[in-house]
Amino acid sequence: MRETDMTLQFELENQEEGTALLRVTGDITIHTSPRLREQLKPLLSAQMKEVQVALDGVNFMDSSGIATLVEGLQWGRLTGGRFVLSGLRDNVRDIFSLAKLDMVFEIVDSTV
Amino acid sequence: MASPCVQDVTFSECENSHAGKLCLQLNCNSDCVHILRSMVAVMTVRADMDELQGNRVAIAVDEVYANIAAHAYEGSPGRVEFETEIICHDGKNRELVFNFRDYAAVRWTGSLEGVTTEVPDVETLCPGGIGLKLICSVADYCEHEILDDGNRWQIGFVI
Repeated sequence: MRETDMTLQFELENQEEGTALLRVTGDITIHTSPRLREQLKPLLSAQMKEVQVALDGVNFMDSSGIATLVEGLQWGRLTGGRFVLSGLRDNVRDIFSLAKLDMVFEIVDSTV
Repeated sequence: MASPCVQDVTFSECENSHAGKLCLQLNCNSDCVHILRSMVAVMTVRADMDELQGNRVAIAVDEVYANIAAHAYEGSPGRVEFETEIICHDGKNRELVFNFRDYAAVRWTGSLEGVTTEVPDVETLCPGGIGLKLICSVADYCEHEILDDGNRWQIGFVI
């Protein structure tokens, strides 16, 4: 049985000018999602053209995590930037699918 | 750093039985979600659920708890009684049930009636309300009752 991960780890890669890739590892819960928001918020600026959040290392995400990602979606809608989620594991993809959020987020299989 | 949150753990009735019940009293803090998750893991295994089903149950339980922490206790510590059991109806149909009881002064006045599971409108999608949507998407039923001294929530999953 998998143990609950109470910490989140981040790795930020600035691929080229105006694009960023944020790799997240750990469980995203009401307790840890404020840290995701802290990491994501500075990336959601007018200077950015594309922000990708790689979730390969995330096995559990609750609504607080999804709500944080919705802020990215809103940023994309307001600025015309591209907000992409990648590498969703089955558990996380299942939750997006149940809530039909897979139809509003741009989701790709692996980092692009 | 939050103070230890587990106040009492009771393994009542037949703890080796699939019909066993687990009870817990928490001092409600957001960092306690992992404790609930351990209990959910035990019960979903007892209920013969696979990993995907277990994850759905964990999400629903997390969301109810987060709702109590954020909206009933408004981020302050507060007492939550958590109880889970597998109920057997007429020896065949089984349900995995979770009960939450809080003693918050704030009564949750939201509604479960209007929560839809339709495709969200990207133009109007906002961070609020996603938790209720998830609960209603994964649980077979969800009930909320306002009490004189708090709130009671029950979510259930047909096994």
